[in-house]
Amino acid sequence: MIDETVRILTNREVAEDFYLARLAAPHIAGEALPGQFVNLKVNAGVTPFLRMPLSVCDVNPDAGYIDVLYQEAGPKTQALCKQPIGEELSCLGPLGHPFTHPDKGTDCVLVGGGIGVPPMIFLGRRLMREGFDVALLIGARSAAKHLSDELLEGTALRIGRATDDGSLGHCGLVTDLLRQELESTGSKAVYTCGPHAMIEAVADVSREFDAACQVSLEEYMACGIGICVGCVVRVENADGKTEYGDYKRICVDGPVFDAREICWEH
Amino acid sequence: MHAKFAGSTSVDLSIEIAGMALRNPVLLASGTCNYGQELQSITDLSQLGGIVTKTITPQPRAGNRPQRIVETPAGMLNSIGLQNPGLEDFVENKWPFLESLDTQIVVNIAGHTIEEFADMAARLDDVQGIAALEVNISCPNVKAGGANFANSPSASAEVIGAVRRVTQHPVIAKLSPNVTDIAEIARAAEEAGADALSLINTLVGMAIDVKNRRPLLGNITGGLSGPAIKPVALAMIWKVAQAVRIPLIGLGGICTAQDAVEFLVAGASAVQVGTASFVNPNAGVEIVEGIRRYGDECGIQHIGQLIGSLQT
Repeated sequence: MIDETVRILTNREVAEDFYLARLAAPHIAGEALPGQFVNLKVNAGVTPFLRMPLSVCDVNPDAGYIDVLYQEAGPKTQALCKQPIGEELSCLGPLGHPFTHPDKGTDCVLVGGGIGVPPMIFLGRRLMREGFDVALLIGARSAAKHLSDELLEGTALRIGRATDDGSLGHCGLVTDLLRQELESTGSKAVYTCGPHAMIEAVADVSREFDAACQVSLEEYMACGIGICVGCVVRVENADGKTEYGDYKRICVDGPVFDAREICWEH
Repeated sequence: MHAKFAGSTSVDLSIEIAGMALRNPVLLASGTCNYGQELQSITDLSQLGGIVTKTITPQPRAGNRPQRIVETPAGMLNSIGLQNPGLEDFVENKWPFLESLDTQIVVNIAGHTIEEFADMAARLDDVQGIAALEVNISCPNVKAGGANFANSPSASAEVIGAVRRVTQHPVIAKLSPNVTDIAEIARAAEEAGADALSLINTLVGMAIDVKNRRPLLGNITGGLSGPAIKPVALAMIWKVAQAVRIPLIGLGGICTAQDAVEFLVAGASAVQVGTASFVNPNAGVEIVEGIRRYGDECGIQHIGQLIGSLQT
């Protein structure tokens, strides 16, 4: 992990309110693994004050860049989408624990919802490169919020899409597609990232089909390196107390967890 | 006497506070550097005057339910709730690493009762190498008695006195800004035997999600920190500096060397860098370098010349 000065190479809207930033970051590009994130200072100065955690969406170690995808939603993402090409920003990374790969020959299903899609893209490409059978299932509110096939190139053998309004693919929940996929293929490795309710549902369906499920969690974060103890998740105590009782830090103990470990709170 | 000598001899940053010899007046604040391990790979802790551990309580504490962090203009609210592994785990598993660091280690403690504070101090008196105890009578994020000691001069004095009687370590009282008259509390802590005071802890704050009219923090209220509170902290340092004779350690929103120098000029003998480390893990070290540059540019020989040098 280092604090790398990165340079914006491209920064463009790729779906409604979704931006893809390509950052020249040779060190992070050489180190990052799927599931890890960076903590980017999107501006100089104190407003916005904190960094913004962003999942790594892809890396190119040879060209020395990383891709991050973000949704324009708050002050930090608004500041970032206004940053011009060539701007230099401070970027801590790579942070957190990556996804672990399944045993050779295990079919994999990746489920991404909303802004949870980026780590699935990185993971899908890595798994495909290593010869796994990968299905990628994506849920979003509407067709306009789905990423194009071009952006998902090489991430999966099959891509399923769901929308809340039926404007693209399956009208309904992405977990409906997951159920179909697990029924028809018997895949035993599920990976997911997205809204809390969605990943909890993905974890439930995975358990029902006896498939291992790794979830990438998100929580309001200050430091991203484990010193503030702000971004915690309650975990089950199957194997005894954790160091701090029931809470683990998402930034350093995660963001990837075995779904069975998570105590889902509402 | 000015910059022409700066190149040859650099300003002496070392300072002694309450019996602690610091190589420079910059420490990392409690709750912003955990127990040192995470920062070690990204900053050089040996360049700092010291670090103050995250608060230790007698028993482990799970902390508050999430959401624990809310960003606010030029700052943030937190409601961590003193999540920590407890005193014995600290001594067994955290202290050996801390002791190995080439910097001064201040151990921050909190209890629910005066007896708990005293018991912790007595236990830590057996631990060699602790530079000082910082007594947290001011955390805004725990409901039980702990938070309220700092509201009362007599309760503050009782806690500090109880700790003072059972320890050889220097005792630093960490004061809350959430009081009517911080100078009154400061005087009470001084009279009870505190060797130094650190101030300020966070200001009680709150944020609301208007979509569902719920508090954003799981604990409803939290502690405000960051540049937003710096002017408040600075004014309190200046006020307390008039009221007591023991040294002050200033904190509250310090992000740059200039911020740190302001605290020294207002009357602090040292500073703590807190929330800034969340944004820049190397902030403490950069502030040390910046203070050195400032001192050299001003042509001062020793950092002590800045302390309380405010011209009014």
